Amino acid sequence: MAANPELKEKVEELLRENEVLLFMKGTPQMPRCGFSMRVVGVLEQLGVDYGAVDVLPILDPLREVTGEISDWRTFPQLYVNGELVGGCDIVEEMLETGELSRLLEVEQPESAQPSQAQPADPQQSPPIQLG
Amino acid sequence: MADLAEIERMIAEALPGAEVEVVDETGGGDHLRAIVRAPQFEGRSRIDRHRMVRAAVRARMDDGSIHALSISAEPPG
Repeated sequence: MAANPELKEKVEELLRENEVLLFMKGTPQMPRCGFSMRVVGVLEQLGVDYGAVDVLPILDPLREVTGEISDWRTFPQLYVNGELVGGCDIVEEMLETGELSRLLEVEQPESAQPSQAQPADPQQSPPIQLG
Repeated sequence: MADLAEIERMIAEALPGAEVEVVDETGGGDHLRAIVRAPQFEGRSRIDRHRMVRAAVRARMDDGSIHALSISAEPPG
């Protein structure tokens, strides 16, 4: 099935506008999936600003779009500068090795621990609604 | 429910020279972890390495034998 061109265009626009963009199940304040929550936890630990898109209302059409854009159909997905970095596994590995801090140009936290995942502070990262 | 030996074989065939271990993470047979050390990973981003492993087992993900696959993919040494 081909991706919906309008949705694809919207996603490409978000990728241009948000240096760091997370597609996740739920919102940073209320993640609806453990893997999404862990990625939120990593980003919060690093203290970076990021855009967050809740994929749940548009899950299947969005899978087609990300399949076409980056050959990846499962969520969460973290993009930096428009490029897919990875899902939960990769993001946690890159936190531990310091690769993610280098990529995001932030200081590596002294005790970088993937499992400190916590829902985000509600002031940060207002969720982006798509569709 | 996936056949772990078959999954290992699929990855090893796609990445000649790789060391491959596939483990059942939950005991349910469909949440798997693949630990792969392959010379082909040298110089590739993590996401590309994961794409290479997933591509090798796509048939078993598409038919539902594998529900979730976590991947640890490093170059050898």
